[in-house]
Amino acid sequence: MLVPLSWLADWIELPDSVEALAESLTGGGLEVDAIERTGPDLSALVVGDVVEHGPHPNADRLSVCRVDAGDDEPFEVVCGAPNVAAGQKIAFARVGTRLPDGTRLKKSRIRSVTSMGMICSERELGLGDEHEGILVLDTDAPAGTPLADVLSAGETILEIAITANRGDCASILGIAREVRAHFGAAVRVPTCDPPEGERAVAEDLRVEITDPEGCHRYDARVVRGVRVGPSPNWMQQRLEAAGMRPINVVVDVTNYVMLELGQPLHAFDLDRLRGGVIRVRSAEAGERMTTLDGVERTLDPSDLLITDGGGPVAVAGVIGGGDSEVSDATTNLLIESAHFRPGRVRLTAKRLGVQTDASYRFERGVDRAGVTRAADRAARLIAELAGGEVSRGVATATGSTPDGVDEIALAPARVNGLLGTALSRDEIEAYLARVGVEPATESESESGGGGRHGDEPGRYAIPSHRNDLRIAEDLIEEVARIHGLDRIPATVQVGPLVGGGAPRSWTDAERARDTLWAEGVTEVMCFPFLDPRDLDRLDLAESDPRRATLGVVNPIAESHSQLRSTLLPSLLGLLRENRNRQIDRVRIFEVSRVFRVEKEGELPEEDLCVAAVLTRSDQNRLWEAKTEAAPPLFFEAKGIALRLVSALGYRAELRPGAPQPYQHPGASAGIRVGRRVVGEVGELHPDAAARFAIDVPCAVIELSLSALADVPRQEKRFREVSRHPQMQRDLAVLVDRDQRAGELVDAIRRKGGDHLASVEVFDRYEGQGVPEGKVSLAFRLVFQRVDRTLTDGEVTKSVDQVVKMLANQFGGELR
Amino acid sequence: MASRAPDLDTLAQGARTDVAGAGSLQDLTSVRARYLGRKGSVSDLLRGIGDLPAEERSRVGQQVNALKVQIEDWVAERRAALESRERNRHLEEHRLDVTLPAAGQPLGHLHPVSHVQRDMAQFFLARGFSIEEGPEVETEHNNFDALNVPADHPARDMQDTFWVEGDFVLRTHTSPVQIRAMTGRTPPFRFIAPGRVYRHDFSPRNSPMFGQVEGFAVDESVTLANLKELLYAFAKHMFGAVELRFRASYFPFTEPSAELDFRCPLCRGDGCNTCSQTGWIEWGGCGMIHPTVLRNCDIDPERYQGYAFGMGLERGAMLRHELPHIRLLYDGDLRVLEQL
Ligand SMILES: [Zn+2]
Repeated sequence: MLVPLSWLADWIELPDSVEALAESLTGGGLEVDAIERTGPDLSALVVGDVVEHGPHPNADRLSVCRVDAGDDEPFEVVCGAPNVAAGQKIAFARVGTRLPDGTRLKKSRIRSVTSMGMICSERELGLGDEHEGILVLDTDAPAGTPLADVLSAGETILEIAITANRGDCASILGIAREVRAHFGAAVRVPTCDPPEGERAVAEDLRVEITDPEGCHRYDARVVRGVRVGPSPNWMQQRLEAAGMRPINVVVDVTNYVMLELGQPLHAFDLDRLRGGVIRVRSAEAGERMTTLDGVERTLDPSDLLITDGGGPVAVAGVIGGGDSEVSDATTNLLIESAHFRPGRVRLTAKRLGVQTDASYRFERGVDRAGVTRAADRAARLIAELAGGEVSRGVATATGSTPDGVDEIALAPARVNGLLGTALSRDEIEAYLARVGVEPATESESESGGGGRHGDEPGRYAIPSHRNDLRIAEDLIEEVARIHGLDRIPATVQVGPLVGGGAPRSWTDAERARDTLWAEGVTEVMCFPFLDPRDLDRLDLAESDPRRATLGVVNPIAESHSQLRSTLLPSLLGLLRENRNRQIDRVRIFEVSRVFRVEKEGELPEEDLCVAAVLTRSDQNRLWEAKTEAAPPLFFEAKGIALRLVSALGYRAELRPGAPQPYQHPGASAGIRVGRRVVGEVGELHPDAAARFAIDVPCAVIELSLSALADVPRQEKRFREVSRHPQMQRDLAVLVDRDQRAGELVDAIRRKGGDHLASVEVFDRYEGQGVPEGKVSLAFRLVFQRVDRTLTDGEVTKSVDQVVKMLANQFGGELR
Repeated sequence: MASRAPDLDTLAQGARTDVAGAGSLQDLTSVRARYLGRKGSVSDLLRGIGDLPAEERSRVGQQVNALKVQIEDWVAERRAALESRERNRHLEEHRLDVTLPAAGQPLGHLHPVSHVQRDMAQFFLARGFSIEEGPEVETEHNNFDALNVPADHPARDMQDTFWVEGDFVLRTHTSPVQIRAMTGRTPPFRFIAPGRVYRHDFSPRNSPMFGQVEGFAVDESVTLANLKELLYAFAKHMFGAVELRFRASYFPFTEPSAELDFRCPLCRGDGCNTCSQTGWIEWGGCGMIHPTVLRNCDIDPERYQGYAFGMGLERGAMLRHELPHIRLLYDGDLRVLEQL
């Protein structure tokens, strides 16, 4: 809300410093976002005394003055104004200062007299059009005083953010009450009662409420014989300063009073209302009306309408209808001031997508006791500013009682017990009195007004405008904020130490981050959104569970319309973007959740996942194995994946399985822990890479931390270490080129006997010397016994069995 | 046969010169063989002792043996010198330019927000808080209604919401974790709930996603003063000595409620672009848990009371690294992330 300070000052005496005012309001919960100053910038100008005035030696119409501007020496100034005279206080600009129009005043020589400054006219100050004579100041301020201190130019406007609970502050009155709460001056409410004529309002109108749940009260004032024209300047300026556009005197008055008192008003052209009746009712299904903005709207039974004898004339509390709008031809007026159920107004405003100054206030709740006062005030101002006669009385009807409490019980001990303060009952009551909350009088109080002493709870009367005060804690907040939150002490909590742990999902995520970071991969964080087309780019089958995404109802873009069921597209997107930024080597990972619809109507499953995308440098760098000699990228990713799983407390194996459609079919494997596949390692399929516009080979690691957490961790057990020497045998075997070394290792392990300590592939070779279609795989077998040294014969026997098995099972030939 | 003594001296002289002149271990081996080997000069002398008169044998024998020991010493000495020279030559040959780049992988980087989240968790774990997590897709009930934010109240508009199919929301704050953690538990307890939250706000300087840490404690007598002490200590942990400001405010789920600002560390209060010329940086919100929220979690507000707070993670990261805006954290630009 924009609060022009001069307007507020009419309502309450303000502290001298705007900054102090803003600081107090902000500390008390009304955040002053900005202090705007309109009008010319007079900050460089000062008050000057004309100490001497005489004729210019070479020009009849000019004079030469000596001006004291508070400096050591007076300035000699040439002046052309006829009204300048010695002894005047004037607005003075020294040579070199910046004038309000932005120009810098230069030293000038006028007919051989050098002028060292300027005595300003209104126009030169940006205050008006007067430029024939200089502005003579009506002030006692000494020479040298900043001009802004004595000349009010423009307006200071506070921009205040009002929290959703403080509808009562959406008015000058409300802000004035807050000023009172902090500084203690009295609020000056202007006279509201209108002068009434002879004609009774009932001759023109009656009011009925047929939806008492939606409308608590409806007051109508009638003013007859008005002349609709523009409102006076002062009103237009205030409205503009408060951010509203002046329209005509009638509309301006309703807006002005709304800004003053917080009560939204609506003016109808009385002669265009049919049937002499205002009926407040709920809309019928499918009912239509055209609103002020020219839009035809279809209404819903939840909407509350203002109707006349013929049909709807306004959507209650939101927007008026076009037909009964006040125009220049209007002479007779109905001024509506009503109290609608906040939730109903909100629902309708949301549904129609219309937020007006009225609906804003109604949603937040207006003063339930302020309805008539606002109608009176508007009628009075209209009669004053637009002529016309206010009809006698108010046409009124009441519905259900609005929400809000009249009294709240509060014990001082409760205040101190919640805040950690040691405030006395008197202090607490003094703070409450600042916000208009007084001890309830005996007649109001059900308990007979007891408990005014000691620590007995007291009962406090809540002013009607504070519909946010409902429970004791609300009053405690009032005490806290007026006392000042900064004055509440800081004391160490005393109590049993409980908990202090982190769930596994947390520690696993942290460990994964640490491992990948140490592996030279950089963490990124992406939005949780998915472009549905990315699922096609990944070539996922229609039946793939990752297709069961959850849609965002109000996405920021079509490309963000689903929640991620896989982290991969985000990372591939970042890979592409970083390549476009000319980054040579991209190694990124993300630890994040993916969402999967498991059961319609229930919250989705959220799996905590890790994904990484790796590329190599495509530039020749020192130390880096040249491309032909380097192991395929897959093996780098495999190593990272195995170390990652190991850091998480498991031993993983990579086994070829059903490749993902986006993986290279020959360079991909599942991460198996025990019997479960918990992730994937693979090079990206060239087709998928092309669909994602990725121009370098890349490998991808995906691991589900949630799936991993379902696998019980096996404690690692100690096996006795042998003191006896190892025996090592190397075997090179020719097998079919497609034969996977891992299977051979498994088979050797099974066949190698009890004392085979380890098997390792140490070479793989195809080419010269190896027949076409074959490959030579070399294995290093290590034998060892715990209890004694093995004999050569024993080892040879085991190796023979392995060799025989390799020949029978795999057609392997020893080289 | 006194004439033999000069021979021994000459021999000794020659041996000494030859050993000293050996330029390599190989040379030294052959020099040694020449004197001490089976066909060497000293061996010859020893063999000739038998021809000497009996009375001289023992004396000359002693002299020759002494010579032998002497030459062995010289050889050993020379060997040590040569070996040392050899080692030094090897060391010299293996002298590296240690300023060349490291082999293997480049440096990786932890995301700045992860870093801040970690620092925060460390503080609260040490203070006896447990970490609690909740889903990022939440029910309207947990995200709003149970937190005393009814649909017909304008407080709903305080947070622009992403709605998700099934009438769910992307949680707009970590506060629903309060509901999940408190329901079914009996106080006392202290929790933090760090995590990602989402707001329907996508502009160049805003992010629809950001990190938050929620904290709350419930017991029979925890106070706003306890909350202040905790947050002062927390601010000190995160930013070093820092001035805080508590401003009254409104959150539907706390009463009293406060906004928490800290003194802008860049301008120290004079006003700069980081703090929008206010001298203060908004950090988060806090307050005493609203009795309705406790009641919604089956906790008796007549007996128990608690505090709650929530603050963004990005502020800390941005300040620490002097990042001008939040989107730099989430654009995934490695030119940025690899600096941090
Ligand atoms: Zn600053």
